[in-house]
Amino acid sequence: MRLDRPDAYWKKDVALFFSRRFALLIKMLYPIAIIVPVAASGMPAKYAAAVIGIVAIMAGTFGAGESLTIDLNDGILVRVALTPLSPYRIVFEVLAVNAVLDLVQLLPALLIVYLLHPVSVLWILAATLAIFATLVTANCIGIFIANFTSSPADVLLYATAILFPLIYLSGFFRNQHPTGVLRTLRGFVPFAYTDDAMKTVFGLATGTTPLEILIYPTIICAVLAFAVCLTAPRLLSQRP
Amino acid sequence: MSSGAHNTPPALEAKNISRLYRSSGRGVSDVSISVAPGEVFGLMGPNGSGKSTLLRVLSTAIAPDSGTFNVGGADGLKEKRKVRASMGLMVDRPTHYGDLTGMANAYFFARAYGMDDSKAEGVLADLFDYFDLAEYSNDKVKTYSYGMGKKLALIEAMAHGPEVLLLDEPSLGLDYTSQLAFQSRVRDLAAAGVAVVLASNQVDEVESLCDRAAFLHRGRVVADGTPEKLISSVRGVRRIVATLRNPVEYGSVAEVGGVQRVVPEGRDLIFHCEERPGIVADVVAGIVRAGGDIVNLSVRRPNLEDVFVKLTGEALRDEA
Repeated sequence: MRLDRPDAYWKKDVALFFSRRFALLIKMLYPIAIIVPVAASGMPAKYAAAVIGIVAIMAGTFGAGESLTIDLNDGILVRVALTPLSPYRIVFEVLAVNAVLDLVQLLPALLIVYLLHPVSVLWILAATLAIFATLVTANCIGIFIANFTSSPADVLLYATAILFPLIYLSGFFRNQHPTGVLRTLRGFVPFAYTDDAMKTVFGLATGTTPLEILIYPTIICAVLAFAVCLTAPRLLSQRP
Repeated sequence: MSSGAHNTPPALEAKNISRLYRSSGRGVSDVSISVAPGEVFGLMGPNGSGKSTLLRVLSTAIAPDSGTFNVGGADGLKEKRKVRASMGLMVDRPTHYGDLTGMANAYFFARAYGMDDSKAEGVLADLFDYFDLAEYSNDKVKTYSYGMGKKLALIEAMAHGPEVLLLDEPSLGLDYTSQLAFQSRVRDLAAAGVAVVLASNQVDEVESLCDRAAFLHRGRVVADGTPEKLISSVRGVRRIVATLRNPVEYGSVAEVGGVQRVVPEGRDLIFHCEERPGIVADVVAGIVRAGGDIVNLSVRRPNLEDVFVKLTGEALRDEA
């Protein structure tokens, strides 16, 4: 793939990702700077898992939301939308490439976590997929928010309002042993599976199986991605 | 315009387009235009007259409140992607991905319009060369000047060989050589059958480039026709252009009998006057009385700006 000749929206985003060298360095280093000390510290498993979950959520939500609103403000996204490219495809590519690039940012830190806390390959796969599902969900939230504002500052505000209840439901800090409706709702939040997977990686059994972590977040993310792609005509329309 | 163009179906036809912005009440009302293949059609009007709004509707960026339009036979409301594929677009404030090179930006858009790799490479290399951007094609766009960004936007609009070109203030900010290159390319494209809609207040450019032009005023078309026909409607009007060494309060000169309007443009004062004996001398005397030091004076034939002034009583460009 030639980064100097992007022939698709996602390749353009990859080219931009690698073109800003200083930003790239920061993006690659900050997950390591936050996660590795946590993983090496002997911190209780539930808090170590929470840190990784929160880093993934923040990277995903603000990454897509802010870059989209900046492009909307510039007018470049509307210009791209006036090409014959399908708006649904553009939004899907925005979602997919942002989630993958976010995972690329987190992968070095995750690999160090897996080295410091060795688990079976199945759990490594499950935990990595759960993190990816969290990134997809967070990016979906960022894209959803960009439908309602073209201000990056507003993205932070709206994201906080949406993420707080989801983080609560996921059991990162409170709601660790939910029952009844909270338990049911927790099952629909992909962040919860990241929490369970990372707790397991850090040595705290949760009762959630790797198969559940591989299947449920995948289904939930597919539904979310489909729903957020349906907002494409509004998202890419010219704002007053 | 190619001969017989009027016998062929229009490349672009808009009927009764209305689009008003709720916030300002501005926009376009009941605008109908038709542009034949190979025709260069000018849209003129002061800021806020609706030119950009009309182009936004025609480019499918916004939907009209009412009215219909089609491009190359495709319905602009129902077949948006087909319309977009056949159109080249340059918006009034072009933006690019600043961290990508000029060539990467242009290549991305060329591929988005469906050009294959080898064709895109060749066409873009030619266009970068044509617009004197070849030397900077591998520089990041954030290092480009405003004019270079405009040239890049022109390249992006033209590369995929559109049937219809929508250009909003295309030559504003271009240096003289680039303006000539742009005009020459537009003429070549028109000769090859491309329909061009050009929103511009560069009067000389519209007169020299456009086969027909329409004036928009407060969202409505107030006149259209060939530039020659439009200008012939203002026979009896003179345009006196006085270049002054120093700015003066020109209100008293506007009171001189026969002076219809005074428009300052940089160091120039432009007087739209009735054609009557002695008018030039009276205007000069008025300027001198007002304390003006004239370094250059010319009396010009009427142009499209005079037509607009006559039609609306307002100037095309902002007055001081």
